[in-house]
Amino acid sequence: MPLTSLQLQNFTAFAELDLAFSPGVNILVGANGTGKTHVMKVCYAACEASKPGAPLFHQKLMNVFLPSGRRAWRLINGPARREWMREGAPASPKVSVNVFGDNFSIRTVIPIRGFRGERLPTNGAPIESVYIPVKEMLSNAPGFLSLYAEREIHFEEVYNDILLRAYRAFPRAEPDKNRQGMLTAIEESMGGKIRRVDEEFYLSNSIVRSTAMDIEFTLLAEGFRKLGLLWLLIRNGSLREGSVLFWDEPETNLNPTLFGVVVDVLLELQRQGVQVFLATHNYVVLKEFDLRMQKSDNVLFHSFYRTEEGEIACNSTTDYLAIEPNPITEAYDDLYDRQIERSIRGRA
Amino acid sequence: MAAVIEFVEGAIRFLFVNAVSERKFDEKGAYGHALSHCMKAVDRIVEFEDKYLFIEVKDPQGDRSHTEKENMAFVAQFKRGELDADFKCKYRDSFLYEWASDRAEKPIYYYVLFADETLDSALLIRRSHALESQLPVRGPRGVDWPRPFVQGCGIFNIASWNKRFPDYPVTRIDGTGAP
Repeated sequence: MPLTSLQLQNFTAFAELDLAFSPGVNILVGANGTGKTHVMKVCYAACEASKPGAPLFHQKLMNVFLPSGRRAWRLINGPARREWMREGAPASPKVSVNVFGDNFSIRTVIPIRGFRGERLPTNGAPIESVYIPVKEMLSNAPGFLSLYAEREIHFEEVYNDILLRAYRAFPRAEPDKNRQGMLTAIEESMGGKIRRVDEEFYLSNSIVRSTAMDIEFTLLAEGFRKLGLLWLLIRNGSLREGSVLFWDEPETNLNPTLFGVVVDVLLELQRQGVQVFLATHNYVVLKEFDLRMQKSDNVLFHSFYRTEEGEIACNSTTDYLAIEPNPITEAYDDLYDRQIERSIRGRA
Repeated sequence: MAAVIEFVEGAIRFLFVNAVSERKFDEKGAYGHALSHCMKAVDRIVEFEDKYLFIEVKDPQGDRSHTEKENMAFVAQFKRGELDADFKCKYRDSFLYEWASDRAEKPIYYYVLFADETLDSALLIRRSHALESQLPVRGPRGVDWPRPFVQGCGIFNIASWNKRFPDYPVTRIDGTGAP
């Protein structure tokens, strides 16, 4: 059940945002500080809060954003916050978050002054979701969940949540043909399957039997840890039809030669009914989508940028060449200009 | 005497301010190149008072003699670097031809215009770098040639050409000027 749109008012980086999503793949680009991760965290918190017995939406927002001292007013958009803090200012600014899906809506007003919040109506069935944060966590998994549960450690809740997803047991049924195809592609890229012993993950090398040996994640290349996590989420059914995947900067620590298989898997997940959101700064990731997507695929590029007034806005397009502004290719424009200048004027 | 020189190559119009002369270097016939059986040739040579420009033009979008599928395959070949060797040979042979004709007395610049709108800067960087390293611009062990073999080179699409060379504007002859 895909998310269809998001409305934000005075929330973190955004004064106002009204954004429509693709039911397939949503690729978020933009310079640092334009709110890409915030959009994904808001949507993830909405999915999590849709589940029975889950924390209230605004509580989940606090947990995944983790403002200093868990003070809600730190989530108010800058200008609105400054206006509110001005002496003699009127009542608290309205800080609202609305997420909509097919037959689904969830909304909250961020409680500013000790207001405990209320369970505003959530319509529709719960949405299963996965958020893969930038920092890899599987190598640090042993003991982390109990530590997070018992102590006040300063980690956004997405780091705890991703381990909960990774630890899920495999379904009894063997993967179907499409799922097995994705798993095999990842196995061939990282050279094995993922195995778990107690709380520790290993790459189990079953493909090259002559050198068969389990490699613990702390000794494994960072890029393979990322592929290993994707393999686990597909194998254990966390990513299945109707679920939503949020992936923040999948390119981190991944060799560009591996982007192709990752993009192929993400497109295949989309064809299987998984809605995908990813934020990227990487040209190769963007270009791989452009080159590998088929006409029937639903891929929407969202370009976040700062207006001349300093507010953050977003343009969305299905056409790779129409992404505007595109800070990733603009960086290459600058490199190209300088290379041509050097080539023409001589290296001296 | 410097003048404004204009010519059309395929479906693209070139205009050069302050040029001295231009030749269609790969011209067929008795008064043309006449060695095409053994030497490759760039499309045009434009002479200025202080330099020559060797210009090679590839315009798959404007080429009506091939199907769209064939043109797309040609662009893919370019992106994969399969035309790099051809660009290199065209320059080398053209340089030798001109040198043996006692005309390579000024610095020579080599520009390839690949008029395809799907080429972005990242792809142009890659192919320009490949061209620069194959010609090569610098001599053995990274030291400048005493007599430069090529003064400079680059690969452009229409937009990047017009941005870099405002005095040598190019446009499609249908008047769109689209990159």
